[in-house]
Amino acid sequence: MALLKRLIDWIDVRIGAREVVAKELTGYLLPRNINTWYSMGSILLFIFAMQVATGILLLIYYVPDADKAFKSVTFIMNEVPFGWLIRLCHTVGSSLMVLVLFFHMLSVLFMNSYKSPRELNWLTGFILFTMVQGISLTGYLLPWSQLSFWATTVATNSVGAIPAVGQYLVEFLRGGKLVGPPTLGRFFALHVALIPAVIAALVGAHLFFLQRTGVSTPPFGQKETANQWKGDGYHYENHPGGIPFFPVYAFEDVRSIFIYLACFLGVVFFFPNLLFTRDAFIPANPLLTPAHIKPEWYFLANYQTLKLFPSEFLGLAVQGVAMTFLALLPFIDRGPERHPLKRPLFMVCALGGLLLWIGLGVWGHYS
Amino acid sequence: MRCRETVIHVTGRVFALVSPLIVALLTLPAAAAEPPEIVCIQCHGSMPGRIGEPVKLWKGSIHAENGVACNACHGGDPKDAANAMSPARGFLGAPKETAIPAFCGRCHVGVMKDYLASAHGKALGKGGPTCVTCHGNHQVVKATLDLINEKSCSRCHSYERARLIRAAMQETEGMIVAIDTRIAAYKGEGTDTEGLEKGLFAVRNRFHTLFHNVDVEMVKKESAGIQGYLKKIRDQLTALDNSHKKRKLAGAGGITAMLLLALFAHLLRKTYD
Ligand code: HEC
Ligand code: HEC
Ligand code: HEC
Ligand code: HEC
Ligand code: HEC
Ligand code: HEM
Repeated sequence: MALLKRLIDWIDVRIGAREVVAKELTGYLLPRNINTWYSMGSILLFIFAMQVATGILLLIYYVPDADKAFKSVTFIMNEVPFGWLIRLCHTVGSSLMVLVLFFHMLSVLFMNSYKSPRELNWLTGFILFTMVQGISLTGYLLPWSQLSFWATTVATNSVGAIPAVGQYLVEFLRGGKLVGPPTLGRFFALHVALIPAVIAALVGAHLFFLQRTGVSTPPFGQKETANQWKGDGYHYENHPGGIPFFPVYAFEDVRSIFIYLACFLGVVFFFPNLLFTRDAFIPANPLLTPAHIKPEWYFLANYQTLKLFPSEFLGLAVQGVAMTFLALLPFIDRGPERHPLKRPLFMVCALGGLLLWIGLGVWGHYS
Repeated sequence: MRCRETVIHVTGRVFALVSPLIVALLTLPAAAAEPPEIVCIQCHGSMPGRIGEPVKLWKGSIHAENGVACNACHGGDPKDAANAMSPARGFLGAPKETAIPAFCGRCHVGVMKDYLASAHGKALGKGGPTCVTCHGNHQVVKATLDLINEKSCSRCHSYERARLIRAAMQETEGMIVAIDTRIAAYKGEGTDTEGLEKGLFAVRNRFHTLFHNVDVEMVKKESAGIQGYLKKIRDQLTALDNSHKKRKLAGAGGITAMLLLALFAHLLRKTYD
């Protein structure tokens, strides 16, 4: 104990560590009415770390070569001690990350915390959302199974509907006319190097913005729920009399993470096949199109939208408009009111959009 | 002997497995269109009676499924309507009864050997059955024990001996089917079943060549050995079952631990209220 204290003292006199702790942890106060939804971001940080860790472990045996990829994954699943666990953690983790991401986005949306001055938070978050979709899509191809091969073929095909440049873009993405060994090389590089680095950088920016604006006050249980910031100068939203982040809210975060882990392990050990079809265990065969190729659940709505429109371009354009609208939401929706129940129009649109997304996904699944 | 026959069988099976791929390869450029019809089918298909009948029957056969078309059996030129049935183009015509085993035996070599050595083969041309007596000529379907039934086997003699053979084979057949289902389930979960599948494949082939000897004693004797192999495969599957059970148990432990830790964190949090 004494030794530990001496070590801390040693560090403290050099870099003023106690001051940082006092300011950023014990003295970092959060609103008294903060709720569990504010833990989603911490869960996401935890999942991302876990994806990086399991991903590095997978890299030890995975071979990014069209002739060997499927075999190497089979080897990981069957021969490498606990390889099956690591692989399942990585695949299940990727899917749950998207799920928690949706929860995070929806909670921020319904509590209206994206409003000024938090536009930059929302914007970096939104780019993170597209990056997480990108990392999922590129990772899906890597096992080089029938499922991954054909799902990637379908997904990259739709890009070709963009007028003029579409065809070139598809070829650029695939490294050839069709999905093939060059595609695997590209997607591998994107999946393990570029996109994770971008995500890490964006998470840094996301947290930096959070640190500068301060955490928002949930609109629930407050008398005054209108946005106080007038845009006249920089202002840090502090919460006098609030609860300290460390140790109080940190324990809430930890509790949320353990509950997440329980659900996560439930899927890993008891329902791993939620995410796989038989085609996931058959090596890719460019000559044999399987009967029912569906993208992952979170792309089902996009998939169904593309099918609904008479031309693929129209389907793409509609999705592009919807995504742009979402990205720019804080700049479009600028009223000061933050309580969802006091904003009927917003509630109808948001709930309607959510139900539409779920409906399209279910339709896509059963179509 | 057995070994060589198995090799021949495996080659046949491999051909059978690969041929759909070849068909797919040929059809892919035409965006999965139907393969162009050969002239035999075009011409015969439009004819009535015994000349047109084979086309309909053949379409539902395992041969059609595997791309074994008219000309594969009858010879001839499937691309040239005018000379399609010219002997100069290798046309063989329809085989006479006594020629049928050799006709089918070009591809099913092992079966033909067993058949020729059997009581049935020895009675060829003297009231014994040929391949098509039991399998049909054009609508040949995947062979199962159901081919041994009272209606088919009592045409020439009493069903008694046929019943004995079927009974002797039934148990082994049941084991093969059950093992096949279990392997398929594991394959669908990402378990590497290649070794198991190969093992079962070889045993199944050995088993399926048994019948054509129509020798009850031999079936019984061979069945014991075959069941021994099947039991080995079954043991491997049971070992897999056990290790998966252990995983589930560990998983349940892990989940419980996480929930307890969550509760612990919750209680710690409460101490600050
Ligand atoms: C232009 C029409 C036509 C084409 C093409 C054609 N056939 Fe025939 N085939 C016939 C007719 C008509 C008969 C019956 C008359 C006969 O026995 O010569 C027949 C008879 C047969 C018979 C029975 C012969 C026998 O000995 O009883 C076989 C077997 C046969 N065809 C196979 C084929 C095969 C295999 C091809 C393709 C390589 C083919 N045919 C192409 C018209 C055709
Ligand atoms: C698996 C081998 C095989 C294939 C494939 C096959 N046949 Fe035959 N075919 C036979 C045999 C064996 C006979 C003799 C049948 C018998 O005597 O019962 C025969 C007989 C015939 C006969 C004479 C029928 C009769 O009653 O005299 C015709 C015609 C014929 N085949 C046409 C065709 C056509 C057309 C095709 C393609 C659609 C075809 N066959 C495909 C094996 C085959
Ligand atoms: C040109 C080669 C060829 C000829 C000739 C041929 N077959 Fe076949 N046969 C095949 C192929 C290929 C398959 C599919 C592979 C397999 O399942 O063994 C097959 C499958 C079969 C099957 C099903 C085997 C199973 O696994 O259940 C039977 C029964 C059969 N043939 C009977 C016959 C009969 C009877 C004849 C003669 C009338 C015949 N074959 C002539 C190539 C041939
Ligand atoms: C007495 C009836 C009978 C005759 C004659 C007969 N078979 Fe069979 N055949 C069967 C039965 C019954 C089975 C199924 C055996 C089983 O399920 O193990 C079978 C199975 C087969 C199989 C599939 C087994 C394997 O090894 O893949 C082929 C191929 C086959 N027969 C071809 C032939 C050929 C070729 C001939 C002629 C040389 C012939 N059969 C003669 C009844 C017969
Ligand atoms: C076309 C007539 C015919 C049909 C159909 C037929 N058999 Fe036979 N079978 C014979 C003849 C001929 C013999 C030899 C004489 C005898 O032992 O009765 C024989 C003998 C046998 C024997 C005794 C073999 C031996 O070595 O002692 C068995 C067993 C047998 N058949 C089983 C079957 C089965 C099973 C079927 C049905 C899938 C069947 N047979 C259908 C004609 C037929
Ligand atoms: C890898 C993905 C992401 C990570 C790791 C992450 C992490 C975090 C963390 C730790 C917080 C602070 C605690 C909290 O409110 O949860 C936060 C806040 C926030 N996030 Fe994210 N986030 C991610 C994606 C997103 C997305 C997709 C959006 C929306 C498009 C978004 C929008 C926001 C906003 C607006 C806040 C501020 C909330 C407030 O102050 O009340 N984030 N994020």
